[in-house]
Amino acid sequence: MSDHPTSFQGSITDAIRNSIRASLTDASVEVSGGNGHYSIVVTSAAFEGKGMLESQRLVYSAIAPLMSGDGPPVHAVDSLKTVKPSRTV
Amino acid sequence: MSNVEATIRELVTTKKVVLFMKGSRHFPQCGFSAQCVDILNKLVPAYETVNVLSDPAMRDGIKKFSDWPTIPQLYVDGKFVGGCDIVKEMFANGELAETLGAAGAVAAGVGGASAAAPSGPPAIKVTDAAAKAILAAKESPTEDLRVIISPTFENELFFDGAQAGDIVVDAGAVTLRLDVASASRAHGLTIDFVDASGGGGFKLDNPLAPARAPSVRSMTPKALRSALDAHEPLSLFDVRTDGERATASVKDAIAMNENGQRHLGTLPKITKLVFMCHHGMRSRVAAEAALRQGFTDVWNLEGGIDAWSVEVDATVPRY
Repeated sequence: MSDHPTSFQGSITDAIRNSIRASLTDASVEVSGGNGHYSIVVTSAAFEGKGMLESQRLVYSAIAPLMSGDGPPVHAVDSLKTVKPSRTV
Repeated sequence: MSNVEATIRELVTTKKVVLFMKGSRHFPQCGFSAQCVDILNKLVPAYETVNVLSDPAMRDGIKKFSDWPTIPQLYVDGKFVGGCDIVKEMFANGELAETLGAAGAVAAGVGGASAAAPSGPPAIKVTDAAAKAILAAKESPTEDLRVIISPTFENELFFDGAQAGDIVVDAGAVTLRLDVASASRAHGLTIDFVDASGGGGFKLDNPLAPARAPSVRSMTPKALRSALDAHEPLSLFDVRTDGERATASVKDAIAMNENGQRHLGTLPKITKLVFMCHHGMRSRVAAEAALRQGFTDVWNLEGGIDAWSVEVDATVPRY
């Protein structure tokens, strides 16, 4: 996998988690990955009654600042799962 | 409205299915784009792709247009469907086939089958011989025969476990699994097994499959003789060398030299063409080339002028 240099300082996985929780306050967030590529699983009541597209939009808009500009800390979201708490067992 | 926005709007509203991706349908340059292409290939025969790598303005433009930060992006009927994760999930649960239904059915030319079919399992007939072969090949009790029928009606058979969204067909002694799109193309399908020396093979007969692309057909010397005698409209091309023609020839045959080539180019594409040579090999190559030029009624004189001499006209010398 190619390198994706970024000037971002600190833990990118923490930054992703914090950005998501800042807009979806109840969310539980799992982030894995590195080197620009991340997989994210978010569970939040905010997804109730919403389709996959809208749910993913909520997450993407929360982390948009991390994905924009030159050499962004998040180059690609390899996989994004949005989970409704009512669906979990 | 910026230029690129106008271009995108035009694209997604005039084309049924548009995939904004990295690379092209045949050469995807990113794993996620490739996954989307694979899925679309299973569901629709034709769709538009836009390579964002060849146009930075498009790459930024589509992200803004959809308010979506990643590529690939799929549009159907002017509506944003989603990125790779969504496309994959919607494929697995059958929603994507439904979304594409209207578009797919028209493009596949099978009437409303794709759109209407997901309501129930298709009727598939598995012959006794095929059932026996399937059961003999089956190795795991948790796997069944998966039948994949592509939008262009190419078939694939293999053993596979259950997948989300499967349509399960109980065909007597065997169980078949199909994805929703394949199921929509499987109504009336017959699966047979043909035994042959050196191992048999499955033979699928699908009434929904469109007629095959034209291929070169075989003509016997006798059939050519009666066609010529009846003055059937056809053009007979002799692809041999001038020297061979001087040795032996068939009356009415057009020499496939430069003049002959030019003449061929002027003929309507529906013209019945017959190609001949010494033994039927060179003429077959020429016939295949004529098909590629767009001719549809193309024949090869099997056995060439040698067979003609033996079967039809002994006055033509053999050489």
